[in-house]
Amino acid sequence: MIVSTTAAVGALALGLLSGCGSSGGSSASSGDPNAEFTFWSFTGIGAADSVDEYLAKNPDAQVKLSEVGSTTETATALTAALAGGDVPDLVMIQGDDLPKFVENPSNFVDLRTLGGDDLASEYLDWAVAAATGTDGSVIGVPTDVGGLGLAYRADLFEAAGLPTDPAEVAEMWSTWDDFIAMGEEYTAATGKPFVDNVETTVFFSTVNQVTEKYYSPDGELVYDTNPQVEDAFDVAVKTYEAGISANIAAWSSGWDPGKANGTFAVTIAPSWLLSGIKNAAPDTAGDWRVTAVPGVGGNWGGSVIAIPARAAHPEAAWEYIKTLMSADGQTEHFERTGTLPAAKDSLTSDAVLSYTDDFYGDSPIGQVMSDSVLQFNSFYNGPDTSAIGAGLLNALADMQAGNVAPAEAWETGLKNVNEALG
Amino acid sequence: MSATTTPVATHRDRKPRKQPTRVRSSFLERVAPYAYVAPFFIIFGIFGLFPLVFTFVVALFDWNPIGAHTFVGLANFERLLQDSRFWNALGNTFGIFVISTVPQLLLALGLAALLNHARLRWANFFRMSMLLPYITSVAATALIFGQIFDRNFGLINWILGLLNVDPINFLASRLGSWVEISAMVMWRWFGYNTLLYLAGLQAIPREIYEAASVDGANGWQQFTRLTIPSLRPVIIFTVVMSTIGGLQIFTEPLLVSPESGLTCGAGRQCQTLALFLYEQGFGQFDFGYGSAIGVALFVIVVVAALINFFLTTRTRGAR
Repeated sequence: MIVSTTAAVGALALGLLSGCGSSGGSSASSGDPNAEFTFWSFTGIGAADSVDEYLAKNPDAQVKLSEVGSTTETATALTAALAGGDVPDLVMIQGDDLPKFVENPSNFVDLRTLGGDDLASEYLDWAVAAATGTDGSVIGVPTDVGGLGLAYRADLFEAAGLPTDPAEVAEMWSTWDDFIAMGEEYTAATGKPFVDNVETTVFFSTVNQVTEKYYSPDGELVYDTNPQVEDAFDVAVKTYEAGISANIAAWSSGWDPGKANGTFAVTIAPSWLLSGIKNAAPDTAGDWRVTAVPGVGGNWGGSVIAIPARAAHPEAAWEYIKTLMSADGQTEHFERTGTLPAAKDSLTSDAVLSYTDDFYGDSPIGQVMSDSVLQFNSFYNGPDTSAIGAGLLNALADMQAGNVAPAEAWETGLKNVNEALG
Repeated sequence: MSATTTPVATHRDRKPRKQPTRVRSSFLERVAPYAYVAPFFIIFGIFGLFPLVFTFVVALFDWNPIGAHTFVGLANFERLLQDSRFWNALGNTFGIFVISTVPQLLLALGLAALLNHARLRWANFFRMSMLLPYITSVAATALIFGQIFDRNFGLINWILGLLNVDPINFLASRLGSWVEISAMVMWRWFGYNTLLYLAGLQAIPREIYEAASVDGANGWQQFTRLTIPSLRPVIIFTVVMSTIGGLQIFTEPLLVSPESGLTCGAGRQCQTLALFLYEQGFGQFDFGYGSAIGVALFVIVVVAALINFFLTTRTRGAR
């Protein structure tokens, strides 16, 4: 009794917090695919263009788009809305935020009820698995994935006597040990750091090349006992100890200038970050190449699109998903924006596989990105996956800042995680 | 005489007899003040008191905003007491509070004495300009200070570079990040406190100073024997307000650098209690634990305010 009362009061409080927007149209028109529906998306991903694409295909539709904020801000707003405010009819959820929502699938429409049971087969298995609840309901359709490559400066590699051709480089650093050896060679030849940092460029890559990550397939926490996680962590520590890291954290003030100045020669390049490197270092056009990461494939980022259970116009929102998220729709979107598709047929389309960019020389970007997500291993992600990742990542960042000895980094990481999980 | 007073007396005599009128008007008179102050109390009740009380309730639950709410009693508080992140945040909060408040109030006092100087030209201009940092958005302040203290391209490290000193990575170390955040807090609040002191100074009559001068007191003696005691109420006010504000520092550590995130650095070196609360509540969506931190912060602020109050009143009693 107390629980239900306080829950109701809490819902009220959160309703006040979320600033109660319009209190929605009548539910009588919920079956109308052209009813006006609200769509919450992130800033900076060209959501308005996507909506225009949709309106061009379906001129009768009415979309009310809100670019809520960053991916995290959007997830926060969605949480408040689900807890008791006005929910949107359609919402984008970024991969890192997804497990918390998947944990409570009843908050969302099971999209199989709208798209049929074989809805999932069209997309990458692991991308759909990430949006599938324990009860089997599919709460989101993958909109895009973050194929992973490494970007490197061919001019700096050449000066250091290393190969420059993307295929040769990928061959030379086929394992992470090779990668470190190459870095030592580069640093010995030039006196400069090889890689920007170890926590994102190395650890983010290695920890996602496992077959089992922080959870076992049945949802048990194994982050502290799974040797694959510790091995992935050790690669990052070894890279640091080899003295080939510039220790410049991703998105810190030195990161973009470092790309422009050649402070380091290698940085992580998920598909969505390729335009970021271009913007950060426009004068280095033609010097960069993109190739596969050491080890097997990878993915960083990607999102799904979902319909909250209390949505006023789920039919209209589904019409949007159906139109734009089909394999053809995602291929078209890729051609316009470079957003890497999550649909399998789209990933193997000519448009994706033949994609190159003059900024990155003749690098087979489309091929690299497509291979990386098709090779990517599926593993179970639980509600605390991102908290665990952050705890381990912070230990590595703290090691780079000189506050933690390399030998103690793993223990520090485990301590961070244990405290985070309480 | 009596002719003029009589009608008034009659009028007075008669008025009490008009029972209905009197009751109605005095009822309204009695109710009206409450009606005037009601808007504040209603709004305070909804946005101040209710969330406060509700926080205490949520702190007893394992509360997932979009999932289950399980009653767990005091488990959140047990966890809090054993959580080194909490003690770390508490230490950071007090560290930043001390580094930012003590020099700030001394600076404000000194500036106020300067601004109160009789021979200061353009006094109003200088007094008004004191408020500029205060009315500047915290976010803008944080951006600018982030650039000043930046490891790679910051103004401070540029100057150090000219002197052939290795760059300091302020945010990476505990003390460095505290100094950076304290600088922001000081920048924002010193003008506000200066004006409070200035107002206090201007309320001190010039005659006492003149009398003191006649008695042969020098400038420093006048300052310590006259100015400080006269300012005591204002000083108490600023110390209490700075304590309450200082224990709730949030925006500065949140915005100090784009990569430091909700932990204010990989080692939580500058994460304050308020930021820890936000991280748990709105980063992890662990509302129960976040509320427990909120309750702890509430208790800490009340205790600190009480200590402040007793210390300041006791020193007054001693004089």
